[in-house]
Amino acid sequence: MVPTLKDIMARCEALFEDLHFNAVKEWKAAVPGRKAIGFMPVYVPREIVHAAGMLPVGIFGGGDQMEVIQGDAYYQSYICRIPRSTLEMGLTGRLDCLDGMLFPSLCDVIRNLSGMWQVLFKDKYVRYIDVPHNYLDSVGGEFYIQEMQTLREDLGRIAGKPISDEALNASIAVYNENRRAVQDLYAYRAQKPWQAPTAEVYLVIRAGMVLPPEEHTPLVRAYLAAVDLEDRPKRDKARVVLTGSFCEQPPLSLIKSIEMAGCYVVDDDFGLIMRWLLDEVPADGNPLEELSKAYLHRSAQQASKFDEKKEDKGKYLLHQIKQGGAEGVIFAAASFCDPALLERPMLQDILSKQKIPYTAFKFAENTGQMAPIREQAGTFADSIKLWSDA
Amino acid sequence: MTITTIGIDIGSGAVKTVLFRQDGGNIEWLAKRVERIRSRDPQELALAGYNEVLEEAKLKPADLQYVATTGEGENVKFATGHFYSMTTHARGAIYLCPEARAVIDIGALNGRAIFIDERGKVLASKMTSQCASGSGQFLENIARYLGVAIEEIGPLSQSSKDPEKPSSICAVLAETDVINMVSRGIATQDILKGIHLSMASRLAKLLKVTGINQGTVLLTGGLALDTGLLAALREELVNEKITGIEARNHTDSISAGAIGAALWGAFRFDRLRQLEQRAAA
Repeated sequence: MVPTLKDIMARCEALFEDLHFNAVKEWKAAVPGRKAIGFMPVYVPREIVHAAGMLPVGIFGGGDQMEVIQGDAYYQSYICRIPRSTLEMGLTGRLDCLDGMLFPSLCDVIRNLSGMWQVLFKDKYVRYIDVPHNYLDSVGGEFYIQEMQTLREDLGRIAGKPISDEALNASIAVYNENRRAVQDLYAYRAQKPWQAPTAEVYLVIRAGMVLPPEEHTPLVRAYLAAVDLEDRPKRDKARVVLTGSFCEQPPLSLIKSIEMAGCYVVDDDFGLIMRWLLDEVPADGNPLEELSKAYLHRSAQQASKFDEKKEDKGKYLLHQIKQGGAEGVIFAAASFCDPALLERPMLQDILSKQKIPYTAFKFAENTGQMAPIREQAGTFADSIKLWSDA
Repeated sequence: MTITTIGIDIGSGAVKTVLFRQDGGNIEWLAKRVERIRSRDPQELALAGYNEVLEEAKLKPADLQYVATTGEGENVKFATGHFYSMTTHARGAIYLCPEARAVIDIGALNGRAIFIDERGKVLASKMTSQCASGSGQFLENIARYLGVAIEEIGPLSQSSKDPEKPSSICAVLAETDVINMVSRGIATQDILKGIHLSMASRLAKLLKVTGINQGTVLLTGGLALDTGLLAALREELVNEKITGIEARNHTDSISAGAIGAALWGAFRFDRLRQLEQRAAA
């Protein structure tokens, strides 16, 4: 039976709200011996985890429904919320279903969290995933292949059998298909944002953080098919790119508020891992080499990723604006997010030179007061609609 | 080209609906409705207002080019677009009073000072904080305690000889203050004038922060026709040494948001049409 939009959204919402990760537990229980590995934003090579027969699970913080008590004891007040709520989930047993955690090279806070995880959860596999800051295949590429090789060997050991090139290539193909589906979803929303509101698109993306890609890809396709049948009126709203939320995620109510206030979000950087690699990774070559080349030469830009040349700064954002037909940019970064907030003035300078309007605010994953956000997004949308040069 | 638009302003106290027709620079106001919410569903009132103004002007929905909402009207299903209330009050004020260079929008829940230019573009704004004591709802509650009808508030306040200001800007404490005043035998008109002065003092300070120091300020929103508040504001502008500003109201001040929405709706329709023509060319 073809699932209805209501069914699809109910499922995505349930997965999003479940901070006990029952979907992961069910996946593991279905076949004895299965293992799940958690990862934090922004990017890890999930293909390696998948090729080991394990489930990669995105850990994107505790959101606005979880009270942080123990997690606060580990961080100063000037640190963002996602490490606190992630620790809270770990310390309260919510992440017991995970057999390991991967901490990508994102910022000092997440790097330190990887060390804390090793101390606090000694029985779990913990790895800090370093990434190259040199984009030559012979330098950064070699380094990154070594990093991935170490992860491959570690996970092979945990799985009880080495990860073969064939298994890796098969996983690359699975993720290529998933990425295509997600790219189609984003392209559809950019074309018809009134048909696919960002609050829904976001939930579909978040579902992919806990579902295996073989299940998530058809879910994305089913959403696209179902939402296209809906009769949703097109409104006169300003088309915006929302950027800066690549790690700690805004509450769902904030995303809804922005759209309600008069904006159509035509691109964003939520769950960027799903679109981090910009195109197909060849699934018939040396898998680690191909993953490395994709990272070095064909991946998205974001604040924690080193820009080799000054003129490269902001290229991805400008591409998002052009591709999405956006009229403005909303910088929405988590409070105390060093990468996003340090990058912001540089990106704003680029937008100013291009005469692209923007507005900026900060949030926390548990932000509850939406009136100021609505006011800011609403007046920004009005300024674009009434006073822009277009 | 003739552009016919409806503007709907869902406030916290009333739903205002207006119907306009524009042809070039010629603007014609065809119909209006103001309906107090009184515990009813604002969405239903918006639909009723929409149907009524259409009926009054003998038009059909197909004759409309744009239905614009403002205030809490984001979820009105038949709307073409929504504008933020500050934007619409600014435009509505320019329509009602072309010389206005500032707006004080004071409704049931809060007050806001908006500094504007001659096109109705917002240059700066400042809103009252969360406390409700600067709002129409607060004034209405006090009038009810005092047994005064809403339309009597203004004239009574203006007859005061010895106004008694509440000691706090907190609505809860101010209400307690009023109870104490009643038990101390303070005259009703002095209590009302005291409250008006307290509210006006906050509004004058907001106005000062926006940076306007000369020109006309138009009162809009549900309390705009309260003559007692207008008189108190004029006094407070003098007290705050903002002497270059003249405060005024307009008989249709309550509909300023809806008017602005309808006019901006026409502007957007025209702009979108031009963009489409440019894209087609």
